[in-house]
Amino acid sequence: MKGKRMHETIRRAAAGLTALILTVPAWAAGGDKAAPATPDPARDWDHLWNEVILDITIIGILFAIVTAWFIWQARRRPGNEVGASVPLSPASAVGWVVIPIFVFLSIDLYTAANGWVLWNTFRDVPANRMEVKLEAGMYSWDYTYPNGVRTQNELVVPAGTPVVLRMTSRDTLHSHYIPDFRVKEDSMPGRITYLWFNPTKPGEHIVTCAEYCGVMHGYMAGRIIVKAPDEYAAWMKGEEIRLAAANAPEPAPAATKPTKPAKSAAKKT
Amino acid sequence: MNLKEWIFTTDHKRVGVLYLIGSIAAFAVAGIMALLMRAELSTIGPTITANPTQYNVWLYTHGAVMILGFQIPALTGFFANFCIPLMIGAKDVAFPRVNALSVWLFYVGVILALLTFFIPDPPDVMWTGYPPYSTITTGNTAMYSFTVLILGFASIIGGVNFLTTVAYMRAPGLTLNKLNIFVWCTLAAFVLQLIFVPVLGTAVSLISMDKYLGTNFFDPTKGGDVLTYQNLFWFYSHPAVYVIFLPFIGVVYEIIAAHAKNMVFNYKMVVYGGVGGIVLLAGEVWVHHLYVSGMADWLRIGQMVTTLMISIPVGLMMIGLIGTLYKGSIAFTTPMLYALGVVFLFLIGGLTGIPLAVPSLTIGVSDTYYVVGHFHYVMAVAGTFAIFGGVYHWFPKMTGRMYNEFWGKLGFWITFVGVNIVFWIMMDVGVKGMPRRYYDYAHFPQFEGAHQWMTVGAAILAVGFTIAILNWILGAINGKPSGDNPWGSPSLEWSTVSPPPHGNWPSPPSVAEDWHPYGFKKG
Amino acid sequence: MAHDAHHAEGHAHAHWDTSIYPFIISFGILALAVAFSFKFVYHNGFAAILSLGIGVPLIIAGIAGWTSEAMGKGEGLSYGAMGWFILAEAMIFVSFFVSYWYTKLHVDVWPPAGNIELPRIMPLVMTFILVASSLTIHYAEHLLHLGNKGAFRTWYLLTIVLGACFLGMSVYEWSHLIHEGFTIGTNAFSTVFFSVTGLHGSHVVVGLAIFLAGLPSVLRGDIDEGFMRTAGLYWHFVDIIWFFVVSQVYYW
Ligand code: HEA
Ligand code: HEA
Ligand code: CUA
Ligand SMILES: [Cu+2]
Repeated sequence: MKGKRMHETIRRAAAGLTALILTVPAWAAGGDKAAPATPDPARDWDHLWNEVILDITIIGILFAIVTAWFIWQARRRPGNEVGASVPLSPASAVGWVVIPIFVFLSIDLYTAANGWVLWNTFRDVPANRMEVKLEAGMYSWDYTYPNGVRTQNELVVPAGTPVVLRMTSRDTLHSHYIPDFRVKEDSMPGRITYLWFNPTKPGEHIVTCAEYCGVMHGYMAGRIIVKAPDEYAAWMKGEEIRLAAANAPEPAPAATKPTKPAKSAAKKT
Repeated sequence: MNLKEWIFTTDHKRVGVLYLIGSIAAFAVAGIMALLMRAELSTIGPTITANPTQYNVWLYTHGAVMILGFQIPALTGFFANFCIPLMIGAKDVAFPRVNALSVWLFYVGVILALLTFFIPDPPDVMWTGYPPYSTITTGNTAMYSFTVLILGFASIIGGVNFLTTVAYMRAPGLTLNKLNIFVWCTLAAFVLQLIFVPVLGTAVSLISMDKYLGTNFFDPTKGGDVLTYQNLFWFYSHPAVYVIFLPFIGVVYEIIAAHAKNMVFNYKMVVYGGVGGIVLLAGEVWVHHLYVSGMADWLRIGQMVTTLMISIPVGLMMIGLIGTLYKGSIAFTTPMLYALGVVFLFLIGGLTGIPLAVPSLTIGVSDTYYVVGHFHYVMAVAGTFAIFGGVYHWFPKMTGRMYNEFWGKLGFWITFVGVNIVFWIMMDVGVKGMPRRYYDYAHFPQFEGAHQWMTVGAAILAVGFTIAILNWILGAINGKPSGDNPWGSPSLEWSTVSPPPHGNWPSPPSVAEDWHPYGFKKG
Repeated sequence: MAHDAHHAEGHAHAHWDTSIYPFIISFGILALAVAFSFKFVYHNGFAAILSLGIGVPLIIAGIAGWTSEAMGKGEGLSYGAMGWFILAEAMIFVSFFVSYWYTKLHVDVWPPAGNIELPRIMPLVMTFILVASSLTIHYAEHLLHLGNKGAFRTWYLLTIVLGACFLGMSVYEWSHLIHEGFTIGTNAFSTVFFSVTGLHGSHVVVGLAIFLAGLPSVLRGDIDEGFMRTAGLYWHFVDIIWFFVVSQVYYW
């Protein structure tokens, strides 16, 4: 317990320090956090991704053009058998260090500030979320809803409600990756990790495993099924009835559509 | 030729050539593994093997051998051995026998890695060897641990040797500010090896201890922690990418200076800002490989900043390279083509690292082919091009003969086309969601076409590399005599005969006040 | 290196230096790695013994041949090299300690179940002995420098004896703990305890082995100062690391 508290202190201190370093640029880039609408990290991700890709493309093209130009200018031809660069004066030698450092550093800090804002979106779970427990194992995703309903490889969620997964693993590392929502986070034995996503409209999204976990790693897939809130409610009702029946005298498989019966092994975390 | 004097040699040049032969052989084997993987991935479902474990073993061997058996030994083994004593005017390294020990340990390590194909239950833990999988698999994790330990030890004694050599055995008059950029880069790489290889050694020992000797480092039910391993592993393996980057960019500096016959631009900026900055930052960024591993948030955010800041020293080194071209006299020889290829393609590789450095963006692309594309651009493309260009550049010095320019250039252009097909498409499918380390991508049928193109590209680039290797073999046997200094370079290694005799110079060289390795003169 | 550059001059087929021992040692090490796999992965004890039977003699022969081939031909650079080597060695301990702290600070309950009371006095005695041996070797070096070979020999031997005492006490302590049911597999703390003290112990063994390798020359009286300084440096390093070991695993 002592270790835990100490660790918490270190964490706070370091987070504070980072915040201090990043505050100024973050102000410029960030809005106020108490924005009422639920954020949509996937959309923000696309936004920042495109921006950063654009930035690096510009930097790359600039460097490439200058290089190509120099190569063309300096190709060996008669009268140019030996290079003719002039030595730098001490002042310009220093300038060629200091100025690039400032330019690069400001690009870096700007990128970091934007990245930090998005990071907060990914890590600050909205208050109106639904909490689902996930136990990953070789090779399945086992979800447990707050009311005890369990599903395997299929997570049914209502559109418009943010969902947070509290994840652990019963054997090796796995990573719950939903490409459409641009999120993933590893799960592992002995620790609980989390991720959240915001399913805005009904539809189906693939879940795939993004951490090498064993021979069948490539086949460890599932689906997120986003239903309209009323359809979701109806589905959940059905599942609850089934769960109640299962908890009564004889256990019956609490399975969803085509998948195998859920393992009842999902352990308390 | 006396075979015994080659195998048991303690001469740094011959040890270097042994390193070269071994590492190129490792490259060929690991490259063939890559081709097999590409063949397997060319269709959905089983293509050339129905056994996923077979694929995983290829992938393990490919990754581990390419990094530990090809690039690190080629750069810090071959180039360092062949060039450093010649560049500093020494007759050999400080401890020639230790040098011979390091090359044979390297061979032993590679043999151990390749035994994979002959033993039951070969290792299938990927080059990262993460527990708990590595401690519960039926695969032979011990083989992985010992491969890494032996190659690591070979590298440490090599590092001790070279740091001592450069510290005490420089020719009279050769001050620190007259060292070749390559020497600086490689020394920095050795310092990183000395500091960080032991950490990797510890990490891989711990998984074998957990698996075979019953310890509990990574077993949470007994108070252990699985994340400890990942931290230890990347605490080495991130600096390891600079152990690769530094010498290869050093090689590119040598090539560009020699074939543009130009003074390196802002030497002190490159050495103190670039090399020094990388050494200082290399150990503070490892968490960028753990952005989705459940690390504490403050570490992820803190190391976002340090990771992004790596662009500063690397950017200074790019400026130095490009500045060296300015007002040069560029000859488009084969080595120069490879070096210029590195300048352009490393930009792609390095800049695609920038989005990865931002944890909130990595959340979307970590462990996808985007990452695979990024690191193949920096290592498999930029790194390999630098190695190939360097071998061409010092080929006349090694053999006293000239390679064939036509086939050299042809090989380059074929590879250039091939790598861009393979690794550009990789980044594209990665952003769209294709995870790495998949034997089969049955639930991503939309990527089949892209995978087929990558397979085609891999076949193309294999042709290019094969042409280059054949060019060396044939050139060494019956190339035209090259003369002692075909590039007209003032750098010290060109001042002796080609190939240099045992002891390098008839009498120890010393350098004049106004001499500089990049002081090209008219005439 | 025995050979001078100008020696090669003139000969058409100049002689290139060779040594067979690095080759032999390397393949000896390969056999050890294979032996480990035989024993622990394939559970084939016989094959393991066989491979050990090949590897160990190769390594011993290699080291012996190397030492006799190279003795007295050093260029006096080993002291500086030892400094770099110690940097690498220190990093092994750093990684062990850092993973220990990382684990310890992360879990809710520490120490984990299954711990027993560790002895308190014994480690202090061991510390005392090791520090003493560091001082004796330092004094021995000093005597050698002054040229007092007789006294040097005494203090040199005393260092070896002290080191051996330290090792003996470690072994005693380990067997005592294992007897009490506290083994390397008990829990995460026991794992750290045995591996860190074991790692340090193995360094004591290496240090002693270096001293023993020098012993014949010491007795003959032709030991060189460079060797003594290098060996002494390593021994001081082993001593300093012990402070970390003792404070972290026994008293924290
Ligand atoms: C030689 C090898 C090498 C090199 C040099 C690099 C260089 C860099 N790498 Fe890469 N990387 C790898 C090899 C390498 N990497 C490997 C092998 C892996 C995967 C391992 C595995 O999981 O199996 C990996 C994975 C990897 C990840 C983890 C991804 C994941 O698994 O989720 C990250 C994240 O930050 C990253 C970032 C970077 C960065 C920021 C650089 C920087 O050093 C790049 C700096 C260079 C530039 C930026 C371009 C030049 C500079 C300028 C033109 C100046 C101006 C630019 C700016 C101001 C932006 N790399
Ligand atoms: C330096 C490092 C390096 C190099 C050079 C390469 C080179 C190549 N790599 Fe590799 N790769 C890695 C390092 C490297 N790779 C790493 C670290 C991983 C991750 C491993 C992991 O996940 O654990 C990886 C993973 C990896 C994957 C991901 C698989 C997956 O995640 O499922 C793929 C897929 O296409 C791939 C492909 C290739 C290809 C096509 C090449 C080509 O460039 C190869 C070209 C070379 C040849 C084809 C050989 C040519 C030579 C001959 C044929 C010999 C001729 C001989 C004579 C004439 C005598 N690599
Ligand atoms: Cu589960 Cu990969
Ligand atoms: Cu990295």
